[in-house]
Amino acid sequence: MKTQPTHSFDTTHSLDTGSPEGEPLVPAGRANPLAHIMLNGILVVLFGYFFLQARDLPSSMWEPLGSGSFPRLVLGLLMLINLAIIAKELRNLKGRSPGAKGQAAAWIWRHRLAFAVLGLLAGFILALPWLGFAVASFLFIMLGQWMLGAISLKQPCIKKLCIAVVIAVVFSFGADALFRDVFVISLPRGLLG
Amino acid sequence: MMTALLDGMAQLFTLMTMITMLLGVIAGVIASAIPGFTITMAIVLTLPLTFSMPPLQGVATMLAVYVGGYSGGLISAALLGIPGTPSSVATTFDAFPMSRNGEPGRALALGIWASFFGALISAVVLIIAAPPLALIAVKLGAWEYFSLIIFAMTVVASLVGKSMLKGLMTGLLGLLIATVGSDPLMGVPRFTFDSELLANGLPFLVVLIGMFAVSQLLSEVESTSEGTRDNQACMPGRVTFHPMAALRETLSYPVNLIRSSMVGVFIGAVPGAGGSIANLLAYDQAKRASKHPEAFGTGTPEGVIASESGNSATSGGGLIPMIALGIPGSAVDAVLMASLMVHGIGVGPRLILDHGDLVYGMFMAMLLAAGMVLLVCMCSMRLFLRVTEIPKSVIVPVVLVCCVIGAFALNNRVTDVYLLLGVGVLGYILSKLDYPLAPLVLGVILGPIAETNLRRALMTDDNWMLFLTRPISLALLVLAAISILLAIRHHHRQRRIAQAA
Repeated sequence: MKTQPTHSFDTTHSLDTGSPEGEPLVPAGRANPLAHIMLNGILVVLFGYFFLQARDLPSSMWEPLGSGSFPRLVLGLLMLINLAIIAKELRNLKGRSPGAKGQAAAWIWRHRLAFAVLGLLAGFILALPWLGFAVASFLFIMLGQWMLGAISLKQPCIKKLCIAVVIAVVFSFGADALFRDVFVISLPRGLLG
Repeated sequence: MMTALLDGMAQLFTLMTMITMLLGVIAGVIASAIPGFTITMAIVLTLPLTFSMPPLQGVATMLAVYVGGYSGGLISAALLGIPGTPSSVATTFDAFPMSRNGEPGRALALGIWASFFGALISAVVLIIAAPPLALIAVKLGAWEYFSLIIFAMTVVASLVGKSMLKGLMTGLLGLLIATVGSDPLMGVPRFTFDSELLANGLPFLVVLIGMFAVSQLLSEVESTSEGTRDNQACMPGRVTFHPMAALRETLSYPVNLIRSSMVGVFIGAVPGAGGSIANLLAYDQAKRASKHPEAFGTGTPEGVIASESGNSATSGGGLIPMIALGIPGSAVDAVLMASLMVHGIGVGPRLILDHGDLVYGMFMAMLLAAGMVLLVCMCSMRLFLRVTEIPKSVIVPVVLVCCVIGAFALNNRVTDVYLLLGVGVLGYILSKLDYPLAPLVLGVILGPIAETNLRRALMTDDNWMLFLTRPISLALLVLAAISILLAIRHHHRQRRIAQAA
């Protein structure tokens, strides 16, 4: 794995919501509108199903709305907005030519680290109940640091490895002890049961 | 009022509270000095640590992180030309050129003093404005409250992101997420599908951590063309401070300082418009009013003062609607509101009447935090500069572990951690497609308030027209419509400009 540079920033979005500057959100060509159409299409179907579910929620003799009306109101508005976004993106789609071949693969390759970290996070969370917080988070931090380039197996450096181990111990076993003994919050114990 | 103020001060000026506030200030400065690590993430991750504290100590600690965070973004903005947070973008325009011209210490000291005065002025405005506004707000009925939330949601949706439709979509998605779990009036389970994961609803804080922290961290590790500025960065060894000279220089622009701070307070009080807008607007106003507008962008002190006082002043401004109305203006205010709710304190216009000591304690905590930031930054700026050197390969895994702790510690439930993963993935997908996340988070916290007030209004009188015939409710709905129309007009204008170009 390549070592990641230290800094990135986003000046294009307020309120911390965006992706790094200069990075296309999705592959160019038709991919961006298609991604919006797919997402909103899935959401329309999902919200439609929830809308039907909400019809079965009980009404009340004390109030005119009952427990299903507010969700139905929100779901109805959501479906309208989803359809409006789909209509807008369909217009965008017409004016665009298909992107060059291999763009999707290149996009996935550029985001490989994000997907790898996501996979590692999923593994960490699923292993949490039986490995316990301390062990699982130690392994997660060590593997995360290796994945992101803080330590390398090809060119091992004892100093970097020691720093990585100290960081992992502090934020796994150290955090576990801090929360258990100081804040009286017991994180999952798992193997250390 | 005097009794509440003295009670608040008595609770605030204890050794433990002062220590945790000082640690909060340091954490806030460090967090926002790290590019990519935002104030929201810092506040979210501080929250689990405050669960075991008394309410005022917990909120004061979080306020310290908040105030410290607005000042910390200055460090990387001035020395690396990289805004540590979106709220210090305009700081790079003049502070970085000033540093490049061989005066990094002056840029930092000016920014620190401007931040201090911005936070101070905003705290004073907060103390003056919030109590009378709350007294008016307690007289609002369910109709007015529902309309107020509609207004807040439309303003947020139209201000954040590039598309109002997307802002409205995520805002409504937040309202929908808030309906999962027990119905607030009848207790009927909704959209739970007999699942243990959903039985208690989707906890706001787990949604917040997943949306802001997890999705942001995933964005941070993408292989992008970044980190190209190290060769331009000012080395910490060159920094020399003259704090008193910088104080005199800051005070030599009193109009700029007060105007920029007031812009910050006003922008902070508008839902959805936080420090990221305030610093740009304050900078723009300072440039328009300056006798030397041509000097802006070349390292003029006026630019540094305007930007830093503008963004720091949003901290007090944002608290005005939260304390007076129970409507958080930003995600950070929503976390502060949630922290009070975790301690069993209902947030709304009655907060100041029922918990006056707490509210006045918060006011004092703002002032105290501003002083602490000043002290901490002046004494140990060189140490903080080292923070910008911490590699992302260390920050990302460590902060993700902190996210997991935060999600678990709220209710001691592993299912909340599974939920965190799901919400994080959803947040990542939405942010990659440019959907703003702030309206979603505000929707989640405002959803139950909106539903309860709508249903209460109709329980009192089932005539929907009352929303339009009660004057305050009508005014708020008209303002909501105007905010949508203005956003549409702005969008069309931008499109015409783009087509012409």
